[in-house]
Amino acid sequence: MKLAHSIAMTALLGALSLAGSALAAPTGAVLFAQNCSACHQAAGQGVPGAYPALAGNTFVRGDPKTVASVVLHGRGGMPSFSDDLSNADIAAVLTYVRSSWGNHASAVDPAVVAAARGHSGGAHSGSSVLPGH
Amino acid sequence: MSVNSGGANFSRRDFLERLHAVGGTALLMAGMSALGFGIEAQAATPPDLSGGNGKKVVVLGTGMAGLASAYELSNAGYDVTVLEARDRVGGRSYTARRGTVLTELGGERQVSDLDEGYYFNPGPWRIPYFHHAYLHYARKFKVPVELFNNDNDHSYIDFEKGSGPLGGRPVRKAEIAADTRGYAAEMLAKQVRQGALDAQFQPGDKELFLDYLRSEGYLTADDFRYIGTEGRGPAVYPGAGLEAGKPSTPYALSDILHSQTWRVLKSVSDLDMQRTMFQPTGGMDQLPAGFVRNLKPTIRLQHVVEKIAQSPDKIDVSYVDASGQRGTVSADYCVCTIPLSVLRNIDLQVSPTFKEAIGGVSYALVGKIGLQMKTRFWEENHQIYGGHVYVDDPMIGTISLPSTGWLGEKGVILGYYPHGSAAARVSAMSLAERKAFAVAAGQKIFPEYAANTESAFSIAWHRVPFNMGGWAEWSEEGRAKYYPTLLEPDGRLYLAGEHLSYLTGWQEGALESAWQQIAKLHKRAVAA
Repeated sequence: MKLAHSIAMTALLGALSLAGSALAAPTGAVLFAQNCSACHQAAGQGVPGAYPALAGNTFVRGDPKTVASVVLHGRGGMPSFSDDLSNADIAAVLTYVRSSWGNHASAVDPAVVAAARGHSGGAHSGSSVLPGH
Repeated sequence: MSVNSGGANFSRRDFLERLHAVGGTALLMAGMSALGFGIEAQAATPPDLSGGNGKKVVVLGTGMAGLASAYELSNAGYDVTVLEARDRVGGRSYTARRGTVLTELGGERQVSDLDEGYYFNPGPWRIPYFHHAYLHYARKFKVPVELFNNDNDHSYIDFEKGSGPLGGRPVRKAEIAADTRGYAAEMLAKQVRQGALDAQFQPGDKELFLDYLRSEGYLTADDFRYIGTEGRGPAVYPGAGLEAGKPSTPYALSDILHSQTWRVLKSVSDLDMQRTMFQPTGGMDQLPAGFVRNLKPTIRLQHVVEKIAQSPDKIDVSYVDASGQRGTVSADYCVCTIPLSVLRNIDLQVSPTFKEAIGGVSYALVGKIGLQMKTRFWEENHQIYGGHVYVDDPMIGTISLPSTGWLGEKGVILGYYPHGSAAARVSAMSLAERKAFAVAAGQKIFPEYAANTESAFSIAWHRVPFNMGGWAEWSEEGRAKYYPTLLEPDGRLYLAGEHLSYLTGWQEGALESAWQQIAKLHKRAVAA
């Protein structure tokens, strides 16, 4: 687990250093390490009683639009990623999750994410001045 | 005299009685303040629980809600047992010092190596003036508080998403505030003087409105122009002898607009974000410590609740302690302050409706990092005494300068405070990567940042065992569908905490919820 984590982070840092380049489209694996691994863990194994495992998860392997909807809008302790990730990013990370750690489900098309979003939105970030408490 | 002139029989007293019935003492006091009775915060007090009759109550958790419940109930004559999962009290009211240990779920073991005498509040850190219950206990337990500087005109705004000469570099907030509001006042004054808004004014209003604009924007006396003002910071400060000082030149309006920096300006602060707030002197753990000094029952630390079972005449809480020993506490009632994010994974004997409601809320993802700096360069070199540096990177959120230890040797800066998906991304980094990420962001503001950084202590509340999130975030649907269910007891189980308030994420929400729930419990216990 520790090794997998450090490999993922190496990939992450590599992607960050390329962030200025228009050629660098982050892969599903990099997006997963950045956005999801803090809770679902580097190999999708989750933490029992805290965060669901994505490996072997029937929901994750199910209807792509429903899964995309959870990533877009959040659920329970999971945040909404609709402002942070483009449809292509969400499609890439879901395709990665659905085909890793023993999962064998179909790839997710950005058009499906767009349909789940309700409109064809891209990534944007509002400026958040002093949120919180 | 009636409150509502349309309702002749609805007196001020009726109104206050109804307020008290709905919201307890705190709402009553707020209502009395609003009606001009001049009731100040110190009048807000916990519920009267006289005649407790030695009934047994088990309190779960020693955050603000648990401590207040245990304190008030035991003083009223209840036989109180307190279980706490951790090896410390306070819950999220927490302070990291030298030697503080924290291991997040799936994370590395972190041991704070802050210097002796320095601290960092990873959770709550500032108290608004209307948080009566918090201030009540601080007063009662003689926990000293000091001012928390929550806004500083001499601090910087650095908006990377802004464009033009003022975007993407640190600019003093006072300059942006003076210029933006000065130009806006000038333009409005011009319209008013040309008669464009005459239809808006009653007789005599126009001259007074122009006086207001001149005052608001520091406009010239005769022709209402904005040409800068002293308070934005002079080019040369006045001094002794022949140094009279030299005024500074305002920025161009277009440059300010495109920089986006005006986004930090508001007519007044939000209700719970006043420009000056309070913090307990010496760290947020001082109020929990005050409770412990004054609490009759012993707190049983490292007792992790595994199951809550109920029968018609008692409630049984099963736990496992630090040595792996299992046991059960039986009581007449239970006040459970465990966050719903944790409670939903505990074996509970409650109605299906209650169980569903516990799962009907989200918990905030939130992170913080404290960075110990070996000098107070923001004070010495930048003349910034407390407050926040305003940035627009959601993964940083804010950089905040300590409101304690002024002019001292070292200080601990809040290096980031991200929320939601940004907090998820920051928390995916290793401890060393989080520190490097925070330092790189601060270096863009202060050239001294990286060279001064010593130790770091970071937290991702959504990964902290026994918390599993920063605070409850109710959706509108959840408030309507689930929230009311959890305000009422399920059998002998009463829930309390910030999650059962409209002050979610504030210690005050936990305290006022505790007051409300123990008042309900008491009413039932004395009737039984």
